[in-house]
Amino acid sequence: MIYYLGAFGLIFIGLYIVLVKHNLIKVIIGLSILNTGINLFLISIGFVKKGTAPIFSHPGLKAIRMVDPVPQALVLTAIVIGVAVLALALSLAIRLYQHYGTLNLRKIREQKW
Amino acid sequence: MRRIISILLLGIVALGIILTLVKIPFGVSKTKVGKYYIDKGVEETGVTNIVTSVVVNYRGFDTLGEVTVLFIAALGLGAVLSTRKKKVKRKVEPASLILYTGCRFLFPLILLFGVYIFIHGHLTPGGGFQGGAIVASAFLLIYLGSRERRIGERGTKAIESLGGLIFVVVGLAGLVISGYFLRNFLPKGIPNLLFSGGIIPIIYIAIGFKVGSELAGIIDNLGGAVSRLS
Amino acid sequence: MVNPVLLIVVPLGLAFAIPLFGFISKRIEKYIPLTAMLFNLIVSLLLIPKALQQPIVVSIGGFPPPFCINLVAGPVGILFSAIIALVGLLVSVYALDYIKQGATGEYHILYLLLLVGATGVVLTGDIFNLFVFFEILCISSYALVAHSGDKAGIESAVKYLIQGAIGSSLILIAIALLYGLFGTLNMADIARNIDSVSSISVFVPLVLFITGLGVEAAIFPLNAWLPDAHSSAPSSISAILSGIAIEVGIYAVARVIFTIFGAQSILLFLLLLGILTLLIGEMCAFSQRNIKRLLAYSSIGQIGLILFALGIATHSGVVGGLFQIISHALSKALLFLAVGYMIYRTGSLEISTLEGMGRKMPLTSLAFTIGAFSLVGLPPFVGFPSKFLIVRAALIAQEPLFVVLIALVLLGTIIEGAYFLRIVQVLYFKGEKSNSKIEDAPIVALIPIFILMLLILIIGIYPKLLTGVLNSAAGEFLNRVGYIKSVLG
Repeated sequence: MIYYLGAFGLIFIGLYIVLVKHNLIKVIIGLSILNTGINLFLISIGFVKKGTAPIFSHPGLKAIRMVDPVPQALVLTAIVIGVAVLALALSLAIRLYQHYGTLNLRKIREQKW
Repeated sequence: MRRIISILLLGIVALGIILTLVKIPFGVSKTKVGKYYIDKGVEETGVTNIVTSVVVNYRGFDTLGEVTVLFIAALGLGAVLSTRKKKVKRKVEPASLILYTGCRFLFPLILLFGVYIFIHGHLTPGGGFQGGAIVASAFLLIYLGSRERRIGERGTKAIESLGGLIFVVVGLAGLVISGYFLRNFLPKGIPNLLFSGGIIPIIYIAIGFKVGSELAGIIDNLGGAVSRLS
Repeated sequence: MVNPVLLIVVPLGLAFAIPLFGFISKRIEKYIPLTAMLFNLIVSLLLIPKALQQPIVVSIGGFPPPFCINLVAGPVGILFSAIIALVGLLVSVYALDYIKQGATGEYHILYLLLLVGATGVVLTGDIFNLFVFFEILCISSYALVAHSGDKAGIESAVKYLIQGAIGSSLILIAIALLYGLFGTLNMADIARNIDSVSSISVFVPLVLFITGLGVEAAIFPLNAWLPDAHSSAPSSISAILSGIAIEVGIYAVARVIFTIFGAQSILLFLLLLGILTLLIGEMCAFSQRNIKRLLAYSSIGQIGLILFALGIATHSGVVGGLFQIISHALSKALLFLAVGYMIYRTGSLEISTLEGMGRKMPLTSLAFTIGAFSLVGLPPFVGFPSKFLIVRAALIAQEPLFVVLIALVLLGTIIEGAYFLRIVQVLYFKGEKSNSKIEDAPIVALIPIFILMLLILIIGIYPKLLTGVLNSAAGEFLNRVGYIKSVLG
């Protein structure tokens, strides 16, 4: 249960940062924390007590104690998607800074919300 | 005010999620689909790393999408950061001798390790994405060690495209030969050997090259943009 | 045999190959999206007769359905993929001449991948796969909004990205919860088991899905990004975002509510959200001076109308909603394409600069007028039968609440009519008769505009052309048991 708590702790910290902070870099860090929390949550769903990795690396390994492989595959995908969003967000932050000279989102209000 | 509203909002979401979470048993048995993969995975795909068999074969379409997402990120980064201005030749402060030599020493070793990780993706933990990330870290090191050195843009682009194309073409070959996209149509071989698993190692190696060159391209683009900024 | 997987894989392969073609010649690049979408259109049209009889279920990797990803090309999927291919094809013809500056190669690849993502979302039968394709759609649209690289583009892309990223995180949490509850990711399999757990624990994932997907679908109050993003993107991209991307978001919301959860209880809420979105969108549009922002707000209004129609959840209501999706895709694409060249020629986004365009750019202005009339719902254009169907569906349902709501819908339509007529008046009846050098759009841009105009007229006059497809598509949405049966046997 502590795994769920930790994962959701990270998720809510991330969401809070995204909602409250003004600096774009901090918001991006918040998104990244949020992603990490979700990945941990996915992994902990597949967790089995005293389980092993689902790899039959030598004969005689029992299938009964292996953890669920599906969440691990999903997390792999989710991490890559997170990296993609992160990279794009950072490149946009660079360009935003070139245009405005600041990363404070409250000061950048050329357009109405 | 903003803080209070956000905390309230998060509190409501947290309450709802806890209500659902108590229904999900923790740390006990495997679920239906996961159990099937563990029981039948080796037999059906010839791969001993079940996560790899799920990533590349059972849920291979997700992986195709995932590769596409990274491709989009690399391209989008290039499009966003592309400036019409000519690149200004800036004097970059050279890295210290220790860093330079260390990077040159480590570069081939890291590269080798990354290639090992993605070639053995179907046997040991790891795979195309992990190996690709390690390969890209070698290029990051080069970038730290000798800053004036750039990665050839045409080369990374060509490898990216070829990697993606190999994935798609292997999948289409499955469609032509056996009627299912991404069907493992090659002989599966004896599990736990390097040459086993049919199309899975081929796809993972293609992904490894693609991810490595994409991440290296991203590093190169971001680094170039930052050095223009300062 | 034609396999629906080709609809996703062939454009994807071509997109990967564009950089290689670019090495040979830079001029080939821009023709590739066109070729891919032409292929998709032909394949979709070929698949329609088969999909109408029985949804085509294709498993990927050749394993039985709950254990692998499968595509479900039912009437809904094929209908949507045909629209995506059609609008994508026309807009890529338009972009041949329109996109000249900046990173053109990247533009064409990202554009094609956006359409691949949209096609994947509407065809897939796996909830996590839907998320992946949704991300392809979203991430490529973030990059395309920022494509011009100017202040407004970058700023709105940042807003879009932050809101979109929160939305997709919520979707991912919902998927994780569903996987924890049911141990499967197949949509039909989840739908089959959804009644086995208490409704409270299913309710949370449902709400997370609606919020997460609602960001892309621009449901109020999650649509703060839309006016900025749609107005500062290049016009060809605005056409795709308005005509395709938000419709795909609506499709995903509908699929989750109708097929996966079968949630009857939330429909009333959806109905009210739809009305609210409609009224707010139309009222904001009314007060706009910037032509592209006006069109963007009008898209929000239309999304509200579609949501309202789907929320009625009777057969005729869903038919009306789907018809409205088609009519909005065609009309809004036409409007953005027409406006694109007006802005290109005048260099300004203000409505007042469009004075006298009816004489300077007669063909483009005619296209704009037809698109505007069609959106308002005047006969004989395609907007008329779709709006008529929605109103009729609400009246047939025989609930007093619906009568009140439909009155509000009509009020929204009147506001819409008012601001579109104002622009048409500016186009034709204002401005001095000066001999300026503004010339009409080039022929390459006029071809897709003409085809869209023709389609709007033809479907408007013979709405029966689509009745068969729409009826079975609505059947697919409302018949959960049939969907589960066709996938899992």
